Formats: sequence, C-alpha cells, structure tokens
Amino acid sequence: MNQVGTDAKSLKQVRMLFGNQQFLLLLVWFAMVAFFTAFNSIFFSMAVFGNILLDWAPVVLIALGQTFVIISGGIDLSVGSTVGLSGVVAAFQMQHMMTNGDNQWLAIAVGTLVAALVGIAVGLVNGFLITKTKVVPFIATLVTMGAAAGLAIVYSGGAPVGGGPDKAIELSVPWFGPFSTPGLIVVGIVIICGLFLHLARFGRYTYAIGSNEFAARTAGINVNRHYLKVYALSGLLAGLAGMFFYCRLGSGAPTSGYGGELDAIAAVVIGGAALTGGIGRISGTVLGALILTTTTSGLIIIGVAPDWKQVVVAILIAAAVLLQGNKNGSRGGSK
Amino acid sequence: MSAPLYEVRNVSKKYGSVVALDGADFQINAGEIVGLVGDNGAGKSTLVKILSGAHKPTSGEIFLDGVSQGWDSPRDAIEAGVETLYQDSGLAPHLTVSANVFLGREKYVAGPFGKLGFLDNKAMHKEAHKDLERVGIAVPESNRSVSQLSGGQRQAVAIGRAVSWASKVIILDEPTNHLGARQAGEVLQVMKAARAKGLGVVFISHTLPHVLDVSDRIVVLRLGKIVANAPTSEFDAEKLLGTITGLNTL
Repeated sequence: MNQVGTDAKSLKQVRMLFGNQQFLLLLVWFAMVAFFTAFNSIFFSMAVFGNILLDWAPVVLIALGQTFVIISGGIDLSVGSTVGLSGVVAAFQMQHMMTNGDNQWLAIAVGTLVAALVGIAVGLVNGFLITKTKVVPFIATLVTMGAAAGLAIVYSGGAPVGGGPDKAIELSVPWFGPFSTPGLIVVGIVIICGLFLHLARFGRYTYAIGSNEFAARTAGINVNRHYLKVYALSGLLAGLAGMFFYCRLGSGAPTSGYGGELDAIAAVVIGGAALTGGIGRISGTVLGALILTTTTSGLIIIGVAPDWKQVVVAILIAAAVLLQGNKNGSRGGSK
Repeated sequence: MSAPLYEVRNVSKKYGSVVALDGADFQINAGEIVGLVGDNGAGKSTLVKILSGAHKPTSGEIFLDGVSQGWDSPRDAIEAGVETLYQDSGLAPHLTVSANVFLGREKYVAGPFGKLGFLDNKAMHKEAHKDLERVGIAVPESNRSVSQLSGGQRQAVAIGRAVSWASKVIILDEPTNHLGARQAGEVLQVMKAARAKGLGVVFISHTLPHVLDVSDRIVVLRLGKIVANAPTSEFDAEKLLGTITGLNTL
C-alpha cells in the first residue's frame, strides 16, 4: 500500500480510477486507520477489519441504491424502513419453512428472494408515487418510509422474528481474510453496480436524467420508466440489506435498519455526489461507507464514546460539501 | 408539384377553452428552410410541439412523405427522421460532448456485454467528432464534459446533434437565442449545411434579420392562425414586422 505514495505513475492510475475527490477519500481513510492504530494497536487486526466490513456491507448496500437515486436527482428516505420490513417478512417465511422441516439452505435462498421482492415492491411504490402522482421524491419516500416502518412493527409485533435456519448466522463468520460469504456477495454487488453505473446505458441515463431531465426526455429517453427502475433498484438493495442483517442477528428485527437512510445519504455525499443530481461515483460511495463504519469502530476501540461518531460524520459531510462547492465555483468562474 | 416532405393540414389545438392553434396548414419541402415567425402567444410553440410529436393536435392531420402520421411521443417522430431542438432544452451538462450527441441512441460494444447495455464510448467519441465536423461545428474534444463549454459551443453541439441525427426534417426553436453575433452566424451556416444535405429545416425565431437571411419561405402566425405564407423575397424587414403585428396583411 505504501508504494502508492512513492510511485508517481501508479499514483496517477489510482487517481484516474477513483476520481480526484475519491482519491482524497482514500487518503482520508488511510489517515484514519493510522490515527486509530496509533492510539490503540489492537485496531490494526483482522478481527477489527472483519467487524468493520460486517458493519460496512449493509451500509454500502443501501448506499449503492442511494447513489443511483441521488445521481438521478432524487432521494430515497424509505430504505432504512425497507431493511426492517424485508427482514421481518423474510424471517416469517424462513420460520415457516423451518417448521415444515425444509432444507436450511433452501430456506435461506427463499428468504433472500422474499427480502429482495419486498424491497422491490417498496421501490416500485416510490417510483409510482414519483412518476404517476408527481409527488417529489422527498415526500414520496417519506410516506413509504413511515408506511414500511409501521408495517414492520405491526407484522412482527415489535419483536425480532427468529426461529429460522441456524446456518444463516454461520454465514456471517469471516473466512476469506476479513470477508464473510455475505460480505463477498456484497463486494460482487458493488462491482456490478459500478460497471452498470459507469459503463452501461443504465448509468448513462441515470446521469443524463439527473443532469437535465428535459434534455433526456427530448432525446427520447423514457424518463418515467427509468425512475421506476432506479427506485426499484434502491428498494432491492435495501431488501438484500435486510437479509444481511438477518444473517448477522439470526432474526428479522423490525428496527434493524433504523437510521440507515441517513447513513446511506451521508456515505453518498461524503463520496462526492451532489444532491442536485448528475454527479457521483460508486467508488466514492464505497469509501464514504467505509469511512463511516471505520469511524464507529475506531472510536469504540480508542475508548471514545461512539456518540462522537455523529460529530465526526457531520464534519466529513461539511468537508465534502465544501469541496464540491469549491469545484463548482471554480468551474463557473473559469468562463 | 410533388407532395411536401412534411405537412400538417387544418390542425387545431385547444388547451381547455383556449384555442392555441386554429386550423393551421403548414408544409416543408426537402432542401428548404422555412422561417416560422409570430408574436408571443401566436401559436409557434404549439405548432412546434405538434410537429415534434410532443403534443397531439385536437383536430387535423399530419403527413410525412405523404403518409398519414399520428405521433404518440417525440420518440415516434425522432425515429421517423424528425428531429427537434427545443428552446433552452439544451444538453446534459455533466455528460461529455459525445455522450450528449449519442444520448438516447447509444452505441454498444459487440457481444453479450453489448446486449446488457455496455457502451462503446470510443466509437461514440470518434463518430461524434466526425458528425459535428461534417455539419461544420468545430468542437474541441468530444470527451470533454459539456459544462466546460461556452454557451455558444453548447448550442453548436446541440444543433450539430440534431442535424446529424435528422434524416428528414429538423425543427429549430430559437436556436440563435442568447448567442453573440459571430456564434449566431455559425448557427445559420449549420442550417444552410442542413438544407444542402436535403433536410427540411423549420426555423423559429424572433430575430427577424436572421430569418430574412437564411429562410427560403416565411410563414407568419398570428393569434393561432397562419396569416402569411410566401417566399422570403416578398418580405422586407418592415413588411414582415407589419405582418407579425397585424398592421398590414399580405
């Protein structure tokens, strides 16, 4: 890793891969790791990194969806509640299959599918509200946020739903370095999202719509259909995050995703995306989420109350936004 | 005389009780620039939206190459070869020049990845550059983002995009707005190039000297009705202004 700082050519390549702001984030993350390690050397261990990655995976899952949504010029406040709802519904399904004596792996597979479908359903409701009833994304997803959270509580009776396959918890044990199987799947999803955002038509239209919706419409793009897809994707990833929490906790807790939407938005903004649309990168979101979760673990390990995390996150968001303001300012001023 | 390239017959458009367009007949031939002028609220934008497929007329007929058409969306019109550059629709500033030129008709890489929607940016960069050059627009680099271009360059790219894609008709709504004299001159040259290419060009503008300069024929709208339709040689600036405002009739 130290070579990065010394070899000018590979430095440039890393910079190209991440973009300038994302490159800065990478440096910030290295600095954080060095800082926490300096205070307590226990921080620099496989166990701690494994734990950070377990925290990181669900945050980055919903932040990925949020990245597409924010680049398209919208926002999705419903993802945190969707995590809880999908986890609860999947938990009941798996509980049912276990009492029927079904195979554990089959139950996990069906549970994952159910969680994904619940997420897609919430996302489609968001997309429908936004495209058909013309409610702004903030309000539309605020509505589904409340509805999904309420449904999760009512459906579960407010308590975590257990009685599912035991193998789910075993899945969360890291075996590949600091990665567990669900963690590796999340890495795969990150890569797929990156490819589709940056190299494929799906991403191109997402940027175009967030950049200038009217221009996208007059170019013949079916903008409404694209919004539906973007919000469905956000819901799908939130549903998978619900299943991730299930594997970690061994139960579907209705509150497992509380506040998740804010973490996701924070990760995306720290990652360099603009809430006005048209700007953002997957690499930024990945690093933004990593910085968030590293902060939490690091503060605990060096003995600072984790409540300070919010202050650190606030500073990071402010720094990211200032950086963006500077960039836009210099661009406007150059002409 | 053969049938016009693109034609609307007796089209009307009502928005509630407001009659925006009242029984208008409009034709455009291949290799012709028609200036469409009129005061604010005369019905120009409404006629443009009907021609581009964005709005359906309340009554009347549309013919392209003599074939009756009922556009359901701008996409239909675009696919039939009718391109429209809307006033201030502009480009997507965060995308590159070539991404904008190819927006909505991207090129894909060969093989299964192309089927998944993976883009062939290299080919698009190259072709965008060639397309823009062919219509007489010098663009610095097609892989630069549009936000780095000046207002005139952006407009040039937007027009170049429309001209290079249009196979039959191109509709330009106030293309010289907000442009300096030299840049406006370049836009007029692009329109002449489009005419030379055999396209029918509909030129909507408030800048009458530009209309008198490039148009072969001028159509004047007033209060939703077509009040004049004659070769440009029959107008001078004063007479044209008088026709628009209703002080004199042709």
